[in-house]
Amino acid sequence: MATDRLVVTPPPHLHKEGETIASSMRDVVVALIPAVIAALVVFKVNALFNLVLCVATAVAADWLIRRALGKEPTVGDWSAVLTGLLVALVMPATAPWLHYVIAVVVAVVIIKELAGGLGLNLFNPALFGLAFVLICSGFLTPWTSKLGTFPGLFDGATGGTPLTYLKHGLEGSATAPSLLALLFGNRTGGALTEVGAFWVLLGGAYLLYKGVIRWVIPVSIIATVLILSYILGADGVYAVLAGGVMLGAFFMATDWVTSPMTPYGQAAFGILIGVLITLIRLYGAPSGAVAYSILIGNAFVPLLDRVFRPERFGAVAAA
Amino acid sequence: MEQAGKFKTFRGGIHPPYNKELSSGKAITPAPLPPELIVPLQQHIGAPNEPKVSVGDKVGVGQLIGSSEAFVSAPVHSPVSGTVKAIEEVPNFTGAKVKSIIITPDPTQPEFPQKEGGDLSSLTPEQIREIARSAGLVGMGGAAFPTHVKLAPPADKPVDTVIINACECEPFLTCDHRLMLERTSDLVAGLKLCMRAVGAKRGIIGVEANKLDAAEALRSAVSSERDISVEVLEVKYPEGAEKMLIFALTGRKVPPGKLPSEVGCLVQNVGTAIALYEAATTGKPLIERVVTVTGPGIRNPGNFLVKMGTPISALIEAAGGYLGTPARLIMGGPMTGWAQADASAAVVKGTSGVVVLTPDLAPEAAERECVRCGKCVEACPMFLMPNFIARSARRGSWEEAESWGALDCFECGCCSFSCPSFIPHVKYVRQAKAEIAARKKK
Repeated sequence: MATDRLVVTPPPHLHKEGETIASSMRDVVVALIPAVIAALVVFKVNALFNLVLCVATAVAADWLIRRALGKEPTVGDWSAVLTGLLVALVMPATAPWLHYVIAVVVAVVIIKELAGGLGLNLFNPALFGLAFVLICSGFLTPWTSKLGTFPGLFDGATGGTPLTYLKHGLEGSATAPSLLALLFGNRTGGALTEVGAFWVLLGGAYLLYKGVIRWVIPVSIIATVLILSYILGADGVYAVLAGGVMLGAFFMATDWVTSPMTPYGQAAFGILIGVLITLIRLYGAPSGAVAYSILIGNAFVPLLDRVFRPERFGAVAAA
Repeated sequence: MEQAGKFKTFRGGIHPPYNKELSSGKAITPAPLPPELIVPLQQHIGAPNEPKVSVGDKVGVGQLIGSSEAFVSAPVHSPVSGTVKAIEEVPNFTGAKVKSIIITPDPTQPEFPQKEGGDLSSLTPEQIREIARSAGLVGMGGAAFPTHVKLAPPADKPVDTVIINACECEPFLTCDHRLMLERTSDLVAGLKLCMRAVGAKRGIIGVEANKLDAAEALRSAVSSERDISVEVLEVKYPEGAEKMLIFALTGRKVPPGKLPSEVGCLVQNVGTAIALYEAATTGKPLIERVVTVTGPGIRNPGNFLVKMGTPISALIEAAGGYLGTPARLIMGGPMTGWAQADASAAVVKGTSGVVVLTPDLAPEAAERECVRCGKCVEACPMFLMPNFIARSARRGSWEEAESWGALDCFECGCCSFSCPSFIPHVKYVRQAKAEIAARKKK
């Protein structure tokens, strides 16, 4: 009889169409396409090599570690692909290729899977991978550089990055990229994502449109960096467009797992990250400021969720 | 023409696929009489009834067959003229075994013997409550709380506003919509009885904006009533949840754990108000109700006038049978209704619909770890953090579940509907409520 296979579960019996982890992760991957294309146009085969290396490593690492842990494979949910892509976009372009592999493995295996899998990680996997190799490059490089770098790697990327100009002042540095270059076609190095803030912004707009992210975190980070930079005597617009602020604000700090869930919590999170970015850039080491700031922000998330929990409907203010 | 955004509403909630057009244009028709009725002695929240008939007895239409002395209870009447075949425990729509009276209807059915209706405007509040009680009236939206109890608010909490919940915010269901169109003046008369029973000065009929024809009909019916207004509300689930509706219409917030009378309100369902009017004018007890039989898995969706105790298999047959492969058979609406393992359960006073979903609308997906996307937090109309309640329940930390507001949850299901990890929050909340209650008893 046709009714033999009736599903009996508690309500509700409807689910929002297309609302799955895989579809949302895929949306984020799609949103990165403009930035990826821009990177490919500017850095051509070098960028392609890094992107393929990182995504392939991430997928392989995800599959292997879950197999080793005796868990169902989750490669189909696009989260490993996304982590690989993000690492490729934020790593310093001139790093030895083994650094990419190390960053991806740290991200996928240690930060995500050994924490219990997607959902249980406290830190943003891609950024932790990046931070790990940035901090460790001092003792990693003598070993990894023996394996060589990809030939012809990033010929244009030898000058100072825009962030050095930001710290030491733009005046008198004829080689500092213009605002227009920062938006659409910067070739002065840093990471792949620094090719153009506009391309990242385009993807961010898509994520907002698709409802994958909300506006609170990106807006509070960008506004904080803009305003605080001006207050501290730096060029705020330049600060927002240079480096990884855009990617951090729209793609990293908005990571579901590692950001607060309530609007006020998200605003506090964004402001905290914005303040850290600005202070680290202006008074500390310019490189990696966005990554470190977001990772520090991640550590505050459990607290922010508790402090900014929504007030229950109809609850009387505590006496 | 009213524009979106101008409609009153609450914060949070979701926009599920409504699919009301499947049955909203179908006039109410009587369902065929099944060969056997299964009438549970308890169809309400409160004390169970004792049978007042024995096996082999002849019963008449509307005859009292089960009652209780308890205040919070509602008597049960025979929906037909027939013979008591058996009195036994039968699983009801929740799967719980309930003592039920099995009645074989006579081949020819006499009309319900209507009593001469008195002057409604001379009824005292006490008389109206007595009418509600003896007619066995309960909330027909699903909760099935005895109406006479609701009509007797505590003396220190006067009710100034009676609200008719005409939102019908559950997807697919259209029984209230049809009643508003086909029994417009009876609904208004029923509302006036409720207002009189509690001494309220104001009556509001809250209709969702996807039933503007009903709002229009009601507006012309109340055009000469100074105390009654018809308000159109935004189409959003759960607009018809008591607390959300009161807030949307009056701006008053019922505090956690309190009843609407706390803020001077009383909310009644459309069907209940009409049944109260019927009981007051003709003496007819609650022996039949309108049930929407619908869904993509039903051949001819429609709205049926159904005798209590009719098995849902008979209704599915009356609606042309299944279409395709049914994946879920739901008693009630798809957001809060009960999934059935088969079509044997009987229609009771709280049954608003029978919905058959096909596999495409009812995906079966494995529960995954929460990815903290916050969509449940955004959707929760009670401003809870449903994922934290679920997490606490999964760990068995019941006190923690309570601290996250498990007891405030009224199980609308917005969280699970929105969850990319397919977490069954409502299941966890029910577990938590049961555990917390068990602990408090100790």
